[in-house]
Amino acid sequence: MVERRFVSPTLLACVVIIATSGIVYELIAATMASYVLGDSVAQFSFVIGLYLFAMGIGSYASRFIEHALLDRFVEIELALALVGGLSAPCLFLVYTAQGAFRGALYSIVVLVGTLVGIEIPLLIRLLEFRLNLKELVARVLSLDYVGALFASLLFPLVFVPKLGLQRTSMAFGILNALVAVISTFLLPITHARIWRLRASCCVVIAILAVGIASFERITTHREATYFGAPIAFAAQSPYQRIVMTQSPRTTRLFLNGNLQFSSDDEHRYHEVLVHPAVSALGREPKSVLILGGGDGLAAREVLRYPKVEQVLLIDLDQEVTRIFREVPLARTLNRDALRDARVTIMNEDAFGFLERCRDSFDLAIVDFPDPGNYAVGKLYTLTFYQRLRERVGVRGLAVIQATSPYFARKSFWTIAETVAAADFRVVPMHVHVPSFGEWGFILAGAEGLREPRTLIPSVGELRFLTNEALPALFSFPRDMERVPAIVNRLNDQQLVSTYTNEWEEWQN
Amino acid sequence: MAELTRRQLLATLGLAWLADTSLPRVRPFEGRIVGADQRLGHLLRDGVKTGPAAGPIERADVVIVGSGVSGASAAWRLAAAGVESLMLELEGFAGGTSSWGEDGVVAHPWGAHYLPVPEPTARAPLRLLEELGVITGWDAAARPILQEQHLCHAPEERLFHEGAWHMGLVPQTLLDAGERAEFERFLGKMDEFTHARGNDGRPAFAIPLSFSSRDAEYLKLDRLTMAAWLDEHRFTTPFLRWYVEYATLDDFGADLDCISAWAALHYFCSRRFETEQTKGSHFLVWPEGNGHLVRHMLARAKGVRRHRQAVLAITPGARGVVLDVLDASEPERPVLRRIEARAAILAVAGFIAKRLLADAKEVTVRASSPWLVANLHVRRPCEPNRAWDSVLFDARGLGYVDAGHQRIAPAEETVLTYFRAYGAADVRAARAALGNRRWAELAADVLLDLAPAHPELGEQTSRLDCMLWGHAMPRPEVGFLSATREPMNAPVFLANNIAWAHVDQSGIALFEEANTHGVRAAEAVLDGLGHRRGESWI
Ligand SMILES: Cc1cc2nc3c(=O)[nH]c(=O)nc-3n(C[C@H](O)[C@H](O)[C@H](O)COP(=O)(O)OP(=O)(O)OC[C@H]3O[C@@H](n4cnc5c(N)ncnc54)[C@H](O)[C@@H]3O)c2cc1C
Repeated sequence: MVERRFVSPTLLACVVIIATSGIVYELIAATMASYVLGDSVAQFSFVIGLYLFAMGIGSYASRFIEHALLDRFVEIELALALVGGLSAPCLFLVYTAQGAFRGALYSIVVLVGTLVGIEIPLLIRLLEFRLNLKELVARVLSLDYVGALFASLLFPLVFVPKLGLQRTSMAFGILNALVAVISTFLLPITHARIWRLRASCCVVIAILAVGIASFERITTHREATYFGAPIAFAAQSPYQRIVMTQSPRTTRLFLNGNLQFSSDDEHRYHEVLVHPAVSALGREPKSVLILGGGDGLAAREVLRYPKVEQVLLIDLDQEVTRIFREVPLARTLNRDALRDARVTIMNEDAFGFLERCRDSFDLAIVDFPDPGNYAVGKLYTLTFYQRLRERVGVRGLAVIQATSPYFARKSFWTIAETVAAADFRVVPMHVHVPSFGEWGFILAGAEGLREPRTLIPSVGELRFLTNEALPALFSFPRDMERVPAIVNRLNDQQLVSTYTNEWEEWQN
Repeated sequence: MAELTRRQLLATLGLAWLADTSLPRVRPFEGRIVGADQRLGHLLRDGVKTGPAAGPIERADVVIVGSGVSGASAAWRLAAAGVESLMLELEGFAGGTSSWGEDGVVAHPWGAHYLPVPEPTARAPLRLLEELGVITGWDAAARPILQEQHLCHAPEERLFHEGAWHMGLVPQTLLDAGERAEFERFLGKMDEFTHARGNDGRPAFAIPLSFSSRDAEYLKLDRLTMAAWLDEHRFTTPFLRWYVEYATLDDFGADLDCISAWAALHYFCSRRFETEQTKGSHFLVWPEGNGHLVRHMLARAKGVRRHRQAVLAITPGARGVVLDVLDASEPERPVLRRIEARAAILAVAGFIAKRLLADAKEVTVRASSPWLVANLHVRRPCEPNRAWDSVLFDARGLGYVDAGHQRIAPAEETVLTYFRAYGAADVRAARAALGNRRWAELAADVLLDLAPAHPELGEQTSRLDCMLWGHAMPRPEVGFLSATREPMNAPVFLANNIAWAHVDQSGIALFEEANTHGVRAAEAVLDGLGHRRGESWI
């Protein structure tokens, strides 16, 4: 009979979709797991194993479904659409809410695996009367494997880079729900229930569509294994990718994959950045300019001085300052410095700001990322320091983060040389920050600048710096001593290549 | 030809698709062919029936024809002596081949886009830079101190070669040992010429050109092509040949086998000035290119400037000069006018000057190359290591410069200025072919040429305008130097009180040349009219 041999191509396409989405959910779970828990080999292995096992459970369970097969099939598709489709956003929310991530992960894997396991046997039974068994198994299973191939090729190459995990997962949820809708048209079904089923399909699709529209693209493959520690927060700004990780002991901030600070030793960095400069100034500053430093940690140190009246913080990246003003984890680190009434934040390029600014400041704190590219490198040039000089005048003082005098010795001394060429008197300093190594700063002031001997008492008790610890900052041992360097200029920026070469040497 | 292009476009897009596995969504963008008023230009070429001039005869002191660098420089010089000028410009915009656009997020050049820090001999350009505050003072050795912000910010150039960007135009890593050795030898040779002096004690190559040595030893280089010179000195590796040809195309708009070896060597060996400040880039760069300089000089000029004025003829008259001008300021109703002036400065190309003044024997007419300049208004993700000048090794064009490069803050939106010179020997054919292209074809050509490095550019572009320069710049072909009028540093008068000032005089299109010719013509006219002008600026 012709009827018996015909299976509509739409139905076969549905099989491919079902198969693809099944594998996609599995890959999403594995990716999320390795992304949050680290150790991707183990995570992929666990998730795949558990998933296959759950599929076995599902296949076995399918024998207990006896009536209204089609209704069940539609319901299972819808369940899968919801559980699978929302798996990535759910896992992410559980994680950021610091919930039981592993529990949620494995429950979702088992649930999705079981549902997928029921799917295929059920479908075969539904089609049983249209095709003989030999034909049927051959067709359905071969298409199932084609779908698997699709999924595993497209997932890393297209879906994750283009859509991100969250949206991929929800998009496949929608596909599953569409399969459910289509099957209500293709397969015979009792009229009484058909509208109820279709309505539920619409609801599920709507939920997922809203999810896609509102959920931001979260992450890429690469990051998953990059940071080691679990990610507490991730965002993408026009300028950089911002990632905060949190392990029981420490919180870390990465910008474009580069460590900015680690909570267990950032106090060393920021105390040395701020307090010797204030001591050298010899008085509490009234007006302070912070260039860069959107994390608010330098501001936190500045605000220790009661006489500070105004802190102007210039950071290019609105996203960074927003995070450090709003996200609780970040706020505990800077002790709400960015919400202090004395602090004004402006999101603009620091060089551009100096060009147009006409005010002067008692203290300027310059805390930019290292000069690893030409865009940041501009902020380490003679012209930049000349503009800076105009803003602190003869009475003020500046302090500049200047990369590592140990790992990037020539770079450090190039910065010192350049600052000096801008008519500053310079006093170089260094401190050991365990997560960075030996780190350097340049104090820059007018003719009378001297190495400070004592901290200003009103600063109170610090975690690292004491009067006794001060002199060590200014003494440079042999392997960090000054080396000859030339002034770094805008139209040359040899600092960028010097810096890149020096760090590359250490990495090899 | 059109078929082939379409196929290449598809192939490139296909490759791009494979490369980043996203379907290209080429967003339609807008644009047009701007500038160079063809209709008016052709009126000039074909001649208009000069009926009686409308209205009364207008009188002026000094008329300057053309608002390019030469004309603007003349007006600038006259103004400093307190003399007004009436400037008549054919186009709707000022600047000639150093003009600029101001629409979009950042101003951008339509032609000349940089000025190397001038040699001490180029005194007028140095004075101009001082006026502009680019030069802030002079050091003990009387060398200029520069406002560094105007020097091209690093990185200056990058090269796209075999699928990747490399810093600099000659990335050492791309060369094998043989190529590197040849490059070294070439640079050594150039260094020798740079410091060579002729038997008259002058440097072999200088800027302005008129300061160069007249020693036959060097002049004979004008009798062979640069290609022949390279052969003679066994410079054969493809990379070096590409590099030298890139220079002749970029500077003269012509291939190695038409350019005089003297001119090409002048490009490599005429700049000796160096201070600590210029060891990085010695290019002065502004968003609007050399339009920045023109704009300043025009702002200083005294008197009026009128656009869409085609000067049709100039004749010496009883009271000085008579100019017949087609006033097309209302394009639908052009009117013929007559202007009487005491003196005129013709700041137009040689072939035009010859048409305006029938028996102008003193004019040097040069071969000239057609160019295409396109400005692409783009929005693209910030990327920290982009260069000002991006060159594609195997492209047909010369690559592009980023007009927004000198902005200090990172920005997603910018304007890219793309250049292409038609360097083949047959300029007429190239000019005719270029004149017939429609905007859509030109835009596709530009994107296709950049596609190997920027498959995504079509998507990022919101506007792409094209400028066609039929006669962009003189071509210093073999023998160009001997065709140059002697002495080179004397003003060129075509008749009593009619001076000529244009880069065609030098035959090498450099700002310094045009600026010097303009100033010189103005000083000669001031002298002729008996104005006090103070010391010469040259
Ligand atoms: C694409 C391109 C890139 C370049 N890049 C550089 C560079 O980077 N650096 C550099 O130094 N040089 C560069 N040049 C060379 C540049 O052309 C010269 O530096 C200089 O601008 C020439 O000026 P000019 O005034 O002598 O001539 P033009 O620019 O030719 O000026 C002549 C003017 O006269 C007008 N005119 C013509 N006929 C008439 C008429 N009958 N009536 C009224 N007006 C008329 C024209 O419209 C024009 O405005 C470049 C040129 C081009 C085309």
